[in-house]
Amino acid sequence: MNILKLVARNLLRRKGRFMFTLLGITIGMAAFVALLAIGGNMRNEVTAQTYALGGGFVIVPDDLCVYNQIGIITGEAISERLAYGEYEAIAAIDGITVIPHLTRRMMIYNPTAGENQAVPVTGQLPAETQAFYGWEMSEGRYFESQDEEAVIIGQSIKNRFKVEVGDKLPIKSGIELEVIGVLKVTDGNDDAMVHMPISVAQRVFDREDSLSYMTARVDDMRKFDDYQEQMLNAANNIKIATNEQMLGSVLMILGSVEFTLQMVAGVALVAAAFGIINTMMTAVYERRREIGIMQALGSKSRTIFATFVLESGLYGLFGGALGVCVGYVSSLVIAPMVAEHSETMLKGMELGAKVDVQLVVTTIAFSLIISVLSGLYPAWKASKLTPVEAISNG
Amino acid sequence: MADTNAIIRTEALQKVYSNGKSAVRTHALRGVDLSIPRGGFSCIVGPSGHGKSTLLQLIGGLDRPTSGNVYIDDINIATLNRNKIAEVRASKIGFVFQFFNLLPNLTALENLQTAMMLGGVKAKEQRSKAMELLELVGLSDKASFLPNQLSGGQQQRVSIARALSNDPEILLMDEPTGNLDSESEKDVLEHIFAIHKRGKTVVIVTHNDTLAARAEHLFVIKDGVLAKNP
Ligand SMILES: Nc1ncnc2c1ncn2[C@@H]1O[C@H](COP(=O)(O)OP(=O)(O)O)[C@@H](O)[C@H]1O
Ligand SMILES: [Mg+2]
Repeated sequence: MNILKLVARNLLRRKGRFMFTLLGITIGMAAFVALLAIGGNMRNEVTAQTYALGGGFVIVPDDLCVYNQIGIITGEAISERLAYGEYEAIAAIDGITVIPHLTRRMMIYNPTAGENQAVPVTGQLPAETQAFYGWEMSEGRYFESQDEEAVIIGQSIKNRFKVEVGDKLPIKSGIELEVIGVLKVTDGNDDAMVHMPISVAQRVFDREDSLSYMTARVDDMRKFDDYQEQMLNAANNIKIATNEQMLGSVLMILGSVEFTLQMVAGVALVAAAFGIINTMMTAVYERRREIGIMQALGSKSRTIFATFVLESGLYGLFGGALGVCVGYVSSLVIAPMVAEHSETMLKGMELGAKVDVQLVVTTIAFSLIISVLSGLYPAWKASKLTPVEAISNG
Repeated sequence: MADTNAIIRTEALQKVYSNGKSAVRTHALRGVDLSIPRGGFSCIVGPSGHGKSTLLQLIGGLDRPTSGNVYIDDINIATLNRNKIAEVRASKIGFVFQFFNLLPNLTALENLQTAMMLGGVKAKEQRSKAMELLELVGLSDKASFLPNQLSGGQQQRVSIARALSNDPEILLMDEPTGNLDSESEKDVLEHIFAIHKRGKTVVIVTHNDTLAARAEHLFVIKDGVLAKNP
């Protein structure tokens, strides 16, 4: 017999209570892990997509709020409130490369989900855009003219909707365009979009002379302030945001969302901790007599204390380990749902939880600490019992 | 009355129980001076509720006296801290209770092994020692039984074996046959006598006449005092 064996025997005595207490801490830790895993991946994903915008900054209508800026990063449709003339005015400035975008949404049938799902569709200037982003094709071909009536698609559109080169996509009721090519993976939101020449988009969506936003870069970023002034003079009603500024605002929003979710996980953990305290208090009460017997056999107070703290700690160890597994599995399940849900800001993103060793270790350690702390009071109570109290009433 | 041959000695031992909020105080022991010889077979008898169990608990360090001293091998355990008393219990004293008091989720063997663990016996040596002791009480075939799979007499024999786990000099038994049928009682008594012959100091609180008749030293406790000290 050794202490650990004795503790394991005690732990498994009331199977039901053991399971439910373990479930409590497992759920708490799983929530913690899932949220951190998804949150961390959102961060990485948003950062990657921002840099994949390619330019140094974006030009948007001056009344576009931060929430809508997220749409640029995630590929959400943005109302087309800039005039095409603004693009031409900015393009005319020396040292600035600028690309206009007109974004809309369309529905594509997803054979896996068995339903139509919304995806972003964007109109761009084919030649300029390809040069700006350095796009390459993985299948089919690129647009041959600035107003070819066809679309190319990103890699994840092809995978998600099982679309092939040669298929016709319903852009809007009554209008179908042929897929002529598939882009190589860009790591940006272009992967999850349908692309067409901007002139075609303007015609199809009845938005002649309009655009949603522009991405741009300057030859020398050090003279950015100078360029900014020139742009603001050249065009009306525009606002300029560098990618860093946009990323900053998005991450701030993400941060507050994460904080809220972590509070929820925190509440789950506090509940789990009280579950452990409750179970251990009950165990101490039930085993008063046995504690007395142990003392009569020569057990010191600290041995009694240790057995209860260990028992409590094992809940944390098992609960933490189980929680990590459950948390990762559920983040794998939840992430695609977050990504595909048409109303979320992360639509079209390819989220997937990556196993992070540090997170695993931290989580289990954290779980262990919570459970050991939860066990301290009950263990102290147990160690303070006197043998006579425990044994005498036969 | 310092008796150099005494392994257990009490001086002016008093115990007053005061029950929580109520002002009721029970004067369970009112000054007991007792001297129990080394290697002897001693019985403590007396009417119910007159302080026998209290005396045994104070001798075994399971409770603290209100006043007075308890010497085990000339160590005054009344002045020791909890941990030191626990050490004395683990090394020098084995207990046997009326209600067996086996740890219910452990097998007979594991009950002995746990006592050995608390007495500092290495894990590797526990098993063979424990089996030897179970053999001694005739229960080696029941080693892997849980207490609730054993009869009362068998449980008490396991509990006697457990009391011997750390080879203590002193065995304290509180009505060891009080909860047994006459068949089991005879059986348990045989083992108690056998153990005494192995040189242990045995102190038994009992209502059993057969047992009391075999006592080398008989103590009568009445109203919390020693009525007769042979
Ligand atoms: N833990 C306790 N709290 C309060 N009173 C107690 C306690 N233990 C024993 N007593 C009282 O002390 C007296 C002596 O009890 P006890 O030593 O158990 O007697 P015996 O073993 O001779 O029957 C009784 O009146 C009993 O009610
Ligand atoms: Mg009694």
